[in-house]
This record gives sequence, structure tokens and C-alpha cells, in this order.
Amino acid sequence: MTDNKAQTIIWDWTIRLFHWLIVLLIPLLWWTAEEGMMDWHRRLGLTMFALILFRLIWGVVGTWTARLLPMIRQLGSLRSYVRDLLARKHRPSFGHSPIGTLSVFALLGALSIQVGTGLFSVDVDGLESGPLAILISFKTGRDLADIHELNFDLLTILIALHIAAIAFYHFVLKANLVRPMVTGRRSDVQASSDISVRPIPLLSSVVITAICLYAVINVG
Amino acid sequence: MKTLRVKLAVPAIAAVMMLTACGESGGSEAASEASSETASAQSPDGMTVKEQIETRQAQLEKVGESFKAIVDQLKADSPDIAVIQEAAAVVPEATQGMADWFPEGSGPESGIETDALPAIWENMTDFQEKVVNMQEAAGKLNTAAQGGDMAAIGEAFKNTGGTCKACHDDYRLDD
Repeated sequence: MTDNKAQTIIWDWTIRLFHWLIVLLIPLLWWTAEEGMMDWHRRLGLTMFALILFRLIWGVVGTWTARLLPMIRQLGSLRSYVRDLLARKHRPSFGHSPIGTLSVFALLGALSIQVGTGLFSVDVDGLESGPLAILISFKTGRDLADIHELNFDLLTILIALHIAAIAFYHFVLKANLVRPMVTGRRSDVQASSDISVRPIPLLSSVVITAICLYAVINVG
Repeated sequence: MKTLRVKLAVPAIAAVMMLTACGESGGSEAASEASSETASAQSPDGMTVKEQIETRQAQLEKVGESFKAIVDQLKADSPDIAVIQEAAAVVPEATQGMADWFPEGSGPESGIETDALPAIWENMTDFQEKVVNMQEAAGKLNTAAQGGDMAAIGEAFKNTGGTCKACHDDYRLDD
């Protein structure tokens, strides 16, 4: 690499923090559930709820590469992108590639279902329950707990797929996608938008998330 | 999420079963024939094994429902004591005669879906003792609920939950 080659910022710091906190939280959530540490499972689950909610809001008001709508628009070039991939030709993207977009929607969707069902889940004895389970019957809470359990398997499969894709880019296409998720920077793309976190969208996202979190905790 | 552990356990158990089955070829076939017989056979109380299993599951679901109702109120800022009283009264009634709900042959070997573990029939005395403990605790919970003292209710509820867990840890398949 030449020294004067500008490094383009593609992921803002909230996106990176969000990503790595989720990487940390998922094993902890799995483990606390396995060990029946439901107090911790609830606390960490609420943290996950706040993260996902923030990410969805940030997907509307956040930086360009975080936004969900532009991601959907570029799905139109999915076919040609995949064709290039299969021919081992890699076109680096500023932000999510078309296939990365599919990954984002699948993972965010599965995480939303996981958090959503978790809020209402009731255990088989009726002794442990999510903070919103008070609003529904035991049987409905049990059904949602079943979905919570099944959806975790789906989530595990999606994560495995995600890691396999990162490995494919690394070993086959020689593209390191992990480093930009840490540093936020990539040298092989041109910036088409300014990726700096602006205070007003950030503050409003945080406030809306905090209000929803407060409402969920105090519903009982 | 406990399914992960179960998923690992299933192949392990299957492997052990295959090893032991080598010694007695056809043994598993004989077992499945016997189980289909017990499934349709009627017990003295006139219920098939399937009915027995489904009845006890329905009764214990009532307990879960009542517990959720109580937990919901204990979590609330201003608990509705009437809801707690109604729910607490259900538990002793729903678990009456529970020690007799697990006749020989109504475990997983029946081929009917049940989380009851074979350990129940290997330790029937201990199992029935634990059932009695739960019934006593549930009785006290009901008394506390009708008394209306929230602190006493909370304490009695914790004890009752503990007696459920004491049994489920050893005798019920992990959820």
C-alpha cells in the first residue's frame, strides 16, 4: 500500500460498537439461559433489546452506510454482484455489498424476533418470565418461549453463515472485512458520503431507545 | 436454548443404546411392541397411559398458569390480592393425588411424548416424598394468600417454587 493512499471511513463508531457488543452478548445470553441464570438473562436481554432498537432507529436517521433504505435499493445489483463473486472477481463496496445487505436483514430480523419473543416468554413452570409477559396468558407466553428457542437455532445458523462468508472473502477474495469493522476504515473504496456521527440524530436515537427501554422495564 | 445440550445428549444416548443392543438382538423391537401394548392398555382408574400422561400434563399446566398469575402480581407495583388468592387456591386442588399420577409404564418408554424421566420409577419413594413436600408448601401458600400478608405470600411462594424445582431438576427432562 502506498503511504499517501487515503483511508476511507466506511463504518461509523456506533455501528462498530453495536457489532462487537452483539458478538459479546450472544454467547453470554446463551450461557445464562443454559445455566438458568434468568436474572442475568433478563438484564442482558434488555441490553440486547436496547442495542437492536438503537440500530433500527440508526438505520433510518444514522450515517449513510448504516441506513437500511439505501441498502434495499442496491439489492437490484445482487445478481451481477453474485455472478462476479463466483468468478472470483471482488468489487469492494462503500458500506454493505448487495449480499451483505441480505446478511444484515437476516441477522437483524432474527435478532429482533429473538428479543421480541424473549420479552414475552414464560418458562414451563410459570416462575420465570420476560418483562412484558404480564400482558399475555401463560399459554401464549409458552408458545413465544418455544419460538424463542427455535429462533435461536436459526440465529446460530445465520451466524455460522456470516462467519463462513467472512472467511470466504478473506481466503478466496483476499479481502479483510474484519479490520474495517474494528477500525472503521478501508483503503480500497471511494467515499460517496460523509460517515461522521452527527450529534442530533445520535442524541434522538439514544433518547428514543432509552424511553422505550424505560417503558418496557416499568410496564409491570 | 437447553435444546443444545439435549441435542448433544441424544446422539450420545443413541450410541450407548446401540452398543447395548448388540448384546440382545431384537431387544429394542420387543420393547417397542410392549410399549404400544401399555399405551393402549387401561389402568385400574380406567385411563389409558396416553390419557394419564395428558391428564397430568394438563393439571401441571394449571399450576404453571397459576404461578404466572402470582408472579405477575408480585412484580406489579400494586399487586391485586384477589388474583393471587384465586391462583393460590388452584394449586393444592390441581395437584391433589399427584403421587398417583405416575403409574409404572407412563414414562418415556410408553412412546408417548413426556418429559418425565425414568429416574422417577427408579426412585419412587424419593419422588413421592418430593411431591408431598410440594403439596405441603402449596397448602401453606394458599393459607398465606387467603391471609393477605404480602411478605408472607412472597416467602411461601418462594418455598413452593423451590419444591417444584427440587423435583424437576432430577425427574424432568431439561426444558
